[in-house]
Amino acid sequence: MFATLHNAFDPGLFWEYRVGLLTGLLRNVIIFAESAALAAALAFVVGAASLSRRAYVRWAAVAYAEFFRNTPEYVLLVWVYFVLPLIIGKVVGTKVNLSPEVAAVLGLGVAYSGFLSETVRAGLRSVAYGQTEAALSLGMSGFTTLRRIVLPQAVRRMLPDTVNQLVSLFKATTIVSLIAVQDIMYQVSMISVAEMRPVPLYTGAALLYCIVIICATQLFQRLTERWRRRGWA
Amino acid sequence: MDAGRPIIQVKDLRKSFGLSEVLRGITLDVSPGSVLSIIGASGSGKSTFLRCLNYLERPTSGDIVIDGEAIGPSSAGGRRTSGASPKDIARMRAKLGMVFQQFNLWPHMTVLGNVIEALIQVKRMPRKEAADVGRRFLAKVNLLDKEGAYPAKLSGGQQQRVAIARALAMQPKVMLFDEATSSLDPELTGEVLEVMRDLAREGMTMLVVTHEMGFARDASDRVIFLHEGKIEEDGTAAQVFGAPSSERCQRFISSALG
Repeated sequence: MFATLHNAFDPGLFWEYRVGLLTGLLRNVIIFAESAALAAALAFVVGAASLSRRAYVRWAAVAYAEFFRNTPEYVLLVWVYFVLPLIIGKVVGTKVNLSPEVAAVLGLGVAYSGFLSETVRAGLRSVAYGQTEAALSLGMSGFTTLRRIVLPQAVRRMLPDTVNQLVSLFKATTIVSLIAVQDIMYQVSMISVAEMRPVPLYTGAALLYCIVIICATQLFQRLTERWRRRGWA
Repeated sequence: MDAGRPIIQVKDLRKSFGLSEVLRGITLDVSPGSVLSIIGASGSGKSTFLRCLNYLERPTSGDIVIDGEAIGPSSAGGRRTSGASPKDIARMRAKLGMVFQQFNLWPHMTVLGNVIEALIQVKRMPRKEAADVGRRFLAKVNLLDKEGAYPAKLSGGQQQRVAIARALAMQPKVMLFDEATSSLDPELTGEVLEVMRDLAREGMTMLVVTHEMGFARDASDRVIFLHEGKIEEDGTAAQVFGAPSSERCQRFISSALG
């Protein structure tokens, strides 16, 4: 039995396909980075809008966040990949195709912008209004106040939560193989079909993911720790 | 007693929050170089009045003229459109230094960083020049040795002195103090009041909302007593504290000094 298990776990197989697997992983990382950037940009806009003085802006932001927070990423992904091109095609009048990669970034980006906008909103609200008043009373504009006084404090408070969201997002990038993005999971399933030996490849993929995420999180934690030490009681 | 144009002119200033009218028509001139203390019970509108002067609260109606420049709605029920642009408001605010009850120092910046931020962002001063100006004002409040510290490391009294230096560094025409000592432990109010007295002696125009009756009596040229959004008593410190004409003011003062 031990021999079978060893045979099943044979790391040699993983090594043999390292190029394909690492290219797949790289694709995951790229999709992660792009959708994280998109999600962060959208989250800042939506998070700020959810604190607007105008009620309809607030409502739109809340509706946006609620919709994307409560729809599964997979459904969004499929919707963006299959349905969105049809709708755009109808509007423009020609056939439109979205590449799987673009659909993946859009789908994951909007899905996580919903979560992240809540983080942004909470972060902005956590900065006492007196901070803003002090800046305004010295003649600073609203934008300068946001940029120099509120955001630097808010961003640091958002960080731990954002790291959690980003870890989730990175894990979620594995579902892009379902719309045929050639990521690591896609590679693994192709190879294991060809080799008829799923155990070492899937296990290897799991370990690889785990290692990458632990390293990235450690890096982030060092960064926050340094910020905390710099005059942050 | 003072020649020349008033530095602040307020005419029939009103402010409502929803249905409750907090300021019910305040008319007041402040002459340059004078120290005006504003006293009254909580909820009498003292802080709101101060905050309307620099538009942290938007007045519902009335005129405010700061240093000859009119700002804001000039007719009763004035709409936002008749108000000043954000730029005008910002320019006017830079002429009024404000010190808050809660200090409101920015925790992510050093003491010097707090003092020079507006010099750099608003006055577009080069950082080096701003730092020189900032140090001059930190020296004035006796905190030059703390320039590299973060606010969290300072006592309340020190924080408030930094806040005063931050406001002074913009070289405002008038300083507004909104209960500047109210959140300090009793043993720390002295150092802040001392800085305020120094400023008064140097001829800074000051509007001081305060519960410190000692300061109001000894350091101000003029004292007004607000009651339910109106000026109920207005006179020199000697008049208001010695022989107030309003019975309510008399009661307030005797209980406050009590």
